[in-house]
Amino acid sequence: MTENLNIEVSPISRVEGHGDLVIDVKNKKVEELIMRIPESPRFFEAMLVGRNWSEPSHITSRICGICSVAHTYASIKATETAFGVKPSGQTLKLRKLIFHHECVQSNTLHVYFLAAPDFLGAGSVVPLVETHPDVVKIALRLKQTANEMVRIIGGRAVHPITTVVGGFTKIPTEEEMLKMKDMLKSTYPDLEKSLKILKTLKMPEFERETEYISLTDKKDYALYDGDIKSSDGWVIDGQQYLTKINEKVVRHSTGKHCWASRDSFLVGALARFNNNYDKLSDKAKTYAAELGLKIPCYNTFMNNFAQFVEIIHSIDDSIKLIDEIMEAGLDEDKAMADVNIKAGRGVGVVEAPRGLLIHDYTYNNEGNVLKANLIIPTNMNYANIEMDMDAYLPLIIDKSEDEIRLAMEMLIRAYDPCISCSTHFLNVKLVNK
Amino acid sequence: MSMHNSDSASNNAANINYKIIGFGNIFMSDDGIGIRVIEELNKINFSEDYRNVVLIDGGTSGIDLIFTLKESDRVIIIDAVDAGQDTGEIVKFKLNRLSEFNEKKFRSFSLHDISLAEVFNLMRSLNINPDITIIGIKPKLIDYGEKISPEIECKIPEIIFQIKQEIEH
Repeated sequence: MTENLNIEVSPISRVEGHGDLVIDVKNKKVEELIMRIPESPRFFEAMLVGRNWSEPSHITSRICGICSVAHTYASIKATETAFGVKPSGQTLKLRKLIFHHECVQSNTLHVYFLAAPDFLGAGSVVPLVETHPDVVKIALRLKQTANEMVRIIGGRAVHPITTVVGGFTKIPTEEEMLKMKDMLKSTYPDLEKSLKILKTLKMPEFERETEYISLTDKKDYALYDGDIKSSDGWVIDGQQYLTKINEKVVRHSTGKHCWASRDSFLVGALARFNNNYDKLSDKAKTYAAELGLKIPCYNTFMNNFAQFVEIIHSIDDSIKLIDEIMEAGLDEDKAMADVNIKAGRGVGVVEAPRGLLIHDYTYNNEGNVLKANLIIPTNMNYANIEMDMDAYLPLIIDKSEDEIRLAMEMLIRAYDPCISCSTHFLNVKLVNK
Repeated sequence: MSMHNSDSASNNAANINYKIIGFGNIFMSDDGIGIRVIEELNKINFSEDYRNVVLIDGGTSGIDLIFTLKESDRVIIIDAVDAGQDTGEIVKFKLNRLSEFNEKKFRSFSLHDISLAEVFNLMRSLNINPDITIIGIKPKLIDYGEKISPEIECKIPEIIFQIKQEIEH
């Protein structure tokens, strides 16, 4: 083991946002190993206070360009729960449909553009155009299809505008539904090709069992709705999240650390895969098997593959949802439910691409926000990232500094952290003392 | 991205179609300047006077810019840019002058999935070559906040003047 090592990565590239990784080893002993998040995460909560009920979903959709649909719906669900609004079955299906495609947008961005360069030996996505043009072209086609899906349903490819408390201000036409189905079907050859490429990638061998927390549902592979499930054996209604999920401020970061049944837990695609494998489509299960992804999986690096498997599931389930909506017949009268304002509290819990996302609002009689609490997936993962780094470092300490730096960055990137919404930027500097 | 319609051209540069894309996060203070400029152009019905122009609120999207660029001939990008100029100073340059792009250590503050520089490099690698003009202003403050600094906000008319010049000449 290297006797002395001081690594500071500032910023860690190819993660959403900006932050620091600090590794300090003296006399073969790890003195410090932290992810430092330097900026304030509480701005949006403060900003929501005093706002009228129709505003939070539009404001919070701007928190992040990658998770705008997830923030929109965590927000809408919190408000609908507070007021007792009951959206129609058609609305719920359209919401699940748009939700799938933010997941595809984000998972595609991460798997192909942000993580693949590590595994294919490229510094970023740009050299991949030369070395692996097929990968870049497939990624762009998938991203464009997912963008188009979100645009048709949400009115825009990012920061949707048709999605409001009660339902939709505009629903897609039958023609658009059929167009979406055709677009989805056309992705299968690209997914097949991607599978062949991904199968050649070697994920680092690293296992650390932790607590996996995600939504769960009796029928669906839960993304839009469900109860909160822990691999440590509990399931709770999302409204009761405070009975299990705790937050604490840590000295080195303004992003709060979270814990539930033990010191840390993991949220995101791998948690969803571990908790809800049986609800995946058959094809997604086949792809998982081909990639060597089995439950329970304790290798964080495999989160990259879990994200890819979720893309397959989202395509399959979207086609099913479109068929169901078409069979029932699109009905403008079911686009909006009644909204009656009243004082109360509501919690909206969804699966953002990076994991569990919670919005908790309290409203007064006029429908203005009195209090807001947002818990963001990357905050939930911080403690687990640090514990993973703690366990992984001794396994690679004999490698060169450059290799250690890259390995630790890859570990952090495997979480697909989105620091821009949990806070802002991320930074790494590597110095031998 | 929201699109605001324009049919046929009716102005000086009648036959050339432009896309004006503003980038930024409206909740990150001066980072939102690109979006504020687009809002202002909508408010003054810019597309009525310049019917060959499409206005686009690009938000904080990164890689998605590729799709917009792919379908464009001429693009004007409005963003918070540090090209080594003074705070509040506006820079305007053509992206196809790559040497300038590198020399000036061009840095956009807005996009956070892949960087704007990566998007441009990727675009070149993919042989997507629209004519891109960047009009950028160096921000004073990039931090959580809804308001643009007064010394940046007061430059919006000047940015719009530069946009008009770019279209008319």
